[in-house]
Amino acid sequence: MTILEKPKQTLHTKDPNASFLSYMHQWIATSDHKKLGVMYVTTGLLFFLIGGLEAAMMRWQLAWSGMDVVGPEEFNRLFTMHGTTMVFLVGMPILLGVANYLVPLMIGARDLAFPRLNAFGFWLFFFGGLLLYFSYFGAQGLYGMGSAPDVGWFAYAPLTERTFSRGHSTDYWILGIGISGFGSIATGINLITTILTMRCPGMSLMKMPLFVWLMFIDAILIMIAMPPLTAAQIMLLFDRWLGAHFFDTQGGGSAVLWQNLFWFFGHPEVYILILPAFAYVSEIIPVFSRKVIFGYPLMVAATIAIGFISLGVWVHHMFALGLSPMVNAIFMGSTMLIAVPTGIKMFNWIATLYGGRIRFQTPMLFSLGFLTQFLLGGLTGIMLAVVPFDWQVSDSYFVVGHFHYVLFGGLVFSIFAAIYYWMPKVTGRMLSETLGKWHFWLLFIGFNLTFGPMHVSGMLGMPRRIYTYHPDRGWELWNLLSSIGVLFQIAAILFFTYNVLNSLFKGKKAGDDPWDAWTLEWETTSPPPEYNFPEIPTVHSRRPLWDKKHPEDPDWKYE
Amino acid sequence: MTTDELHPRPSEPQGIELPAPSSSPFTCAFGVTLIAAGLVTQWIVTIIGAMIMLIGAIGWFKEVHPDDREETIPFEEGPAAITARNQKVLRLMQGTRHRQRVPAEIHPYSAGLWGGIIAGIVMAVVATIGSLIEHGSLWYACNLLSATILIGVESQTAEQLAQFNSTSLIVAITIQVVMSIFIGLIYGAVLPMIPRFQLLFAAAFVPLLWTGLTWATISVINPTLQANIDWLWFIGAQITFGLVAGWWIIHTEKIDTMQNWSYLERTGMESPGIPSQGGEES
Repeated sequence: MTILEKPKQTLHTKDPNASFLSYMHQWIATSDHKKLGVMYVTTGLLFFLIGGLEAAMMRWQLAWSGMDVVGPEEFNRLFTMHGTTMVFLVGMPILLGVANYLVPLMIGARDLAFPRLNAFGFWLFFFGGLLLYFSYFGAQGLYGMGSAPDVGWFAYAPLTERTFSRGHSTDYWILGIGISGFGSIATGINLITTILTMRCPGMSLMKMPLFVWLMFIDAILIMIAMPPLTAAQIMLLFDRWLGAHFFDTQGGGSAVLWQNLFWFFGHPEVYILILPAFAYVSEIIPVFSRKVIFGYPLMVAATIAIGFISLGVWVHHMFALGLSPMVNAIFMGSTMLIAVPTGIKMFNWIATLYGGRIRFQTPMLFSLGFLTQFLLGGLTGIMLAVVPFDWQVSDSYFVVGHFHYVLFGGLVFSIFAAIYYWMPKVTGRMLSETLGKWHFWLLFIGFNLTFGPMHVSGMLGMPRRIYTYHPDRGWELWNLLSSIGVLFQIAAILFFTYNVLNSLFKGKKAGDDPWDAWTLEWETTSPPPEYNFPEIPTVHSRRPLWDKKHPEDPDWKYE
Repeated sequence: MTTDELHPRPSEPQGIELPAPSSSPFTCAFGVTLIAAGLVTQWIVTIIGAMIMLIGAIGWFKEVHPDDREETIPFEEGPAAITARNQKVLRLMQGTRHRQRVPAEIHPYSAGLWGGIIAGIVMAVVATIGSLIEHGSLWYACNLLSATILIGVESQTAEQLAQFNSTSLIVAITIQVVMSIFIGLIYGAVLPMIPRFQLLFAAAFVPLLWTGLTWATISVINPTLQANIDWLWFIGAQITFGLVAGWWIIHTEKIDTMQNWSYLERTGMESPGIPSQGGEES
């Protein structure tokens, strides 16, 4: 056993005696869940910038009819890489990173159950992402040029067969996403094991913070949903390289099989992405309302119900396929059913706000933005669950508007809420409230300006994935509004970037518990030491820090 | 020799043991990626990747076998003492009227029913007067209303819409009756929950909201129909309905809800000393 005498080192300061290489080695060789969490989130945010730039290029091209910013082939690559990046290289790493950082702290553990597996998972994701983007340089397209994947983020068969997708661009998509997927599975195993076996004394399952419950169900969904995608990708590789015909319709294969396998992953994936958003706001809303979360047991039950039902709704992505009316009716019913537990959550968050002493600080603003926008996305989701309506607007901009309200208005807003809320814990420095509010309002306006009009252009018949359109369709105004919204979003992201960089060096000292919060991560220092807690804490209620602050009125008397 | 030297006390722990840093996971993951990258570049990349992965895997194995390699992290300065910022804890008291709007009294369903029917008749009269003034016909508004269901009516010319059509009349009356009763019942249920300005809510807020929604969506749903609507008369008819239905309902006598009953009354128990519904002691 080696005993190392190490000076205290935080995320934003480095040991002046250490060389740059040894500093980098600390990060590369680390198995500390907090450092890995930071690496996950940072990498996810960098990919967010790249994916955002791709979206901005597309909006520039579509701002008016007949624009010539990018050609059709490049446009195909842009929407493929944008979708793939945002789902696999932004949403997944950020949710895994935040869980990595916070789950051990919230359950009073020193690390995840398998620290080295955790590091392995991160590096698989990281290299998988790099491999995907290497396709811009390495994949041989039809004319021998470097070429990124261009088959859409759900890569429908038989478009992905070798006959239609020459060169290696689709192979890069398969391999890059496949490798990242293995990383996600590794982290899923880690989270489940950690939550089940490493909770501190007194923390029964029904005393876990809601964040931990949600990440637990999320990890289970990852374990169930990712393998079918990986299997389908391997089958596709067999088709492309070894002459198999799983998805080759001309050779007796089935394109519908790909859709079933992909969406069996793809729809739970939506919930894999949105459950962490629920987790963040379930922690933030009570703290900023100064009230305990309303209906904790029902929130847990709703989480489990969402996890379960989300595995049985995938066919609603395939309504326009021409399946039998009975199949469509069953999946229409199951899709509507999932609105019930989701609605329970929505009402419980509102009930938590109700009568509370609300503090409109930046994390709360982003959480409220999440509530309103996710609600709208959910409502259009229910509209799309109705088969005849889905037939009308399938593959139109209405659908694009809908899922951006869920994943951007829901997930991304909650991610920003989480960053403003937990970053003081991670860095020991506060983010600027003024800049944060600028960030929120610009993003709120920009987001709604971009994605609100898409519902209208979709209703007017504009199909998704077209690279230009004729001027006589009545779509120009709505597209122009959408593109103007992007300018607001870019400004918002610039405010955010400056705020983060500025706070790392000049931010106000946060202290251990800047929000007067109640969960265990706020009990330790900011940033926490490598071992998290000098002594493993013992808890008696769902709000252990409240109990310590108010020994005369502890929560365990009421739970 | 001191006592301490004779019986040395167990030393205080200097730190906490955690898994030592390791580059093996990084190496292993890099190797796996190169194996995959070789499939789409050169086979030699796959070979190199396999070797790197093997090095990483062996290194990883050595770190966990026979025991986990660990390092001791020395204690750092501990967290600050936990104190409450605000000792005062407020509780939501039961029985207070804290932002609650539970209607203790409501209008009977019949109020909404009759309010809706009467308002529907007056609204139809206003709409008919509008058609008479604007198009010189009693039937224009009636035909237009039927166009929400009957296919092809909306694309008729103004002259055709001004003509009498028995099918249109039957359909329009059916729509008007059903919708009037439906909206009247909703008004009857909702108005008691509005704390103030109930008539304003019924006669202005809801009609304007409904008109706005219709105006915003009908151009998408049925643009031909939209071209034939006289929006001023449309708003006038909506406000008339809201005014009449709201006035009728508000002026109907209210009845108690179960919110006023005791728990025993709500469960339907009967015993001496417990007043029955209506306040008479049984």
